[in-house]
Amino acid sequence: MSAKELGLVGCHECHLLSRQQRPASGQAAYCPRCGAALHLRKPNSIPRTWALLTAAFLFYIPANVLPITITTSLGAKQSDTIMSGVIYFLLHGSPEIAVVIFTASIFIPLMKLIIMSYLLVSVQRKSRWRPRDRTQLYRIVEAVGRWSMVDIYVVTILVALVKLGVFADIEAGPAALYFAAVVVISMLAAQSFDPRLIWDALEENHD
Amino acid sequence: MTEETPRTNHGEEIAPVADIHAKRTISIIWVVPLVALLIGGWLAYKALSEKGPTITITFESAEGLEAGKTRIKFKDVEIGNVTDISISDDFSHVVVTAELKKGTGPYLTDKTRFWVVRARIAAGEVSGLGTLFSGAHIGIDPQTEGKPQNHFKGLEIPPVLTEALPGRHFTMLAQDLGSLEIGTRVRYRKVTVGKVVGYRFDPDLDALKIQVFVQAPFHEKVRKETRFYDDSGVDFALDTRGLRVNTDSLSSMVLGAIAFETPVSMKASEQAPENFEFRLYPDRESSKEKEYFLKNYYLLYFEDDIYGLSPEAPVNFKGIKVGQVVDFSLQYNFKKKDFQIPVLVEIEPERIEQIHGKLPEGKSLIDEFVARGLRAQLKTGSLITGQKFVDLAFHPKAPPAKVRYEEGLAVLPTVPQPLKQLMASVENIIDRLNKVPTDEIGRDVKAVLESVNDNLRKTETMFGEINEEVLPEIARTLKKLQASLTDIEKGYGKDSVTNQELRKTLNELEEAARSIRILTEYLQRHPESLIRGKGDTE
Repeated sequence: MSAKELGLVGCHECHLLSRQQRPASGQAAYCPRCGAALHLRKPNSIPRTWALLTAAFLFYIPANVLPITITTSLGAKQSDTIMSGVIYFLLHGSPEIAVVIFTASIFIPLMKLIIMSYLLVSVQRKSRWRPRDRTQLYRIVEAVGRWSMVDIYVVTILVALVKLGVFADIEAGPAALYFAAVVVISMLAAQSFDPRLIWDALEENHD
Repeated sequence: MTEETPRTNHGEEIAPVADIHAKRTISIIWVVPLVALLIGGWLAYKALSEKGPTITITFESAEGLEAGKTRIKFKDVEIGNVTDISISDDFSHVVVTAELKKGTGPYLTDKTRFWVVRARIAAGEVSGLGTLFSGAHIGIDPQTEGKPQNHFKGLEIPPVLTEALPGRHFTMLAQDLGSLEIGTRVRYRKVTVGKVVGYRFDPDLDALKIQVFVQAPFHEKVRKETRFYDDSGVDFALDTRGLRVNTDSLSSMVLGAIAFETPVSMKASEQAPENFEFRLYPDRESSKEKEYFLKNYYLLYFEDDIYGLSPEAPVNFKGIKVGQVVDFSLQYNFKKKDFQIPVLVEIEPERIEQIHGKLPEGKSLIDEFVARGLRAQLKTGSLITGQKFVDLAFHPKAPPAKVRYEEGLAVLPTVPQPLKQLMASVENIIDRLNKVPTDEIGRDVKAVLESVNDNLRKTETMFGEINEEVLPEIARTLKKLQASLTDIEKGYGKDSVTNQELRKTLNELEEAARSIRILTEYLQRHPESLIRGKGDTE
């Protein structure tokens, strides 16, 4: 039994439960209390999430291939990609930092994208397999999303701090922009996904 | 289906109800991945389109090079970077793999040169200082002419780039490099107009070939008669003409330079073509000398020492340089049981102008001249420095001699040095003075006087006998005579003043002779003491 089956709809903003009436064409339902648009499920959730996810995947490539920082030290220019930075720290005796960067900047964004893709596929196939765990996965993705920005923060802080002219200078590389785009777009994708869709499959086949 | 459907009178449905649901529209959100795709595609296209040729360069060592960091720069603009450095299969060199930017393909030919730019100080230029901090980079001299290729052999010494400059290259032939090196300036009227671009040893000519570039418009000033010389700062010349110092600017003093001058001549001069060969003179002075191609070599044997003679010492004839000393050595002659010093001289007969006639080709007048008394003699050119030169002069009184030939070399007769001659005569006189038997002379004189005395005494007794018997007057007269004879004996006898003084005089003469001998010996060993005086200690 779900609110949808009872013809009830919850407001996304003030969480008021109201009776849903099918709106005529050109009309829409609004929350009687706060005036927010009411939807039974997030509208176009699946295609919208797919679209954002695709964009995130596309941006993930330049984010990892292009240099994220360009370090100028005494005239020597060195551009580092995220992965080359990880390798640098690993080889120069700071495996902890390497692990942090690898987790925050490579592993988590990629896992997020893969988990979202899996959730979408499973919802589209109306899978009934372990909905609770899948919901848990979604929760993790949403919670962890903002932490992926750590990398961008580090770069921006470094760029601002290290301005020593000839001796040392750090510039943000083009990958920083694409990486930020990956993080933002994948957060939007996670938001546009409606976890209730995971449970809908169970309801439909219930009877 | 809650709405009422239109029905027929029999309750049948007239028509099925059309489905109503959301319009099939493509969500605007798909613009986001589309934009991402466009950006990604553009990036990929840019990366692919900017990808230029990949080349390999071999170097002796990869000092300062680093894969992923080292750049390839042309005119200080980055045109590629090193992607990999590995060691060749035979471990003899390193192989540097580099990716160049797009569009560099046509410049990669077999004439294209690569070298490593490091900080270096050469020929007055401090170059590549930036590389001290940034690390070395690879320089390129792109050439469009030639066969395209992707494998290069890197230069170990950065070349001096002149290909693109207007001007001309010339070749200098030199015995040694002196203070020159690649990059050394070429100066004309003290203006830097070019550079030394390279040098190599030519085993056939047994000389160094120095490649020089003179930029436009100064290359027009290089004529076929132009003399190039090593213009390295200070030029000390200490020879028979005394001490001369030529200084240039401090920089060329330190760094060296090649200068050139075209001697003023009556002939119209022609411009020297590309790669024309010049002789590089060791200094300006020698470059100004006329060049003589004909050289005759003569051997001179000197028996006395040749202090102060050096190679390149002039050979003068009537005070004009006609040649120079080439070489000398010291020999011991077992036949003569004595030392001798052969001195090889070259004489440039072209220095002697021929008028009112001409010597037939291949003939020499030397035999005739020697017959007329031509002799070589060592002379001191400068009393201060003691530098000697070979003087050719006619000595009509010299003992007759002929030109000998020794292993194809004509041997000219010599006469001793003038000071030697003088000393020989002084010694002669002293020897003769030594031989004067002063003691014997004194003894002889004494003997003569004694016998005279004896005779007189005999005469006295004889006359006494006569006197006593005959004439006391005569006796008195004779006594007087005796008295006067005693006087004579006093004057000229054994211990007489005259005798003593004569002996003294002779002794003094002997002493004088000895000191003259000491003096001449000292002078012979220290001719400079004539000027400087006797040194403190010997």
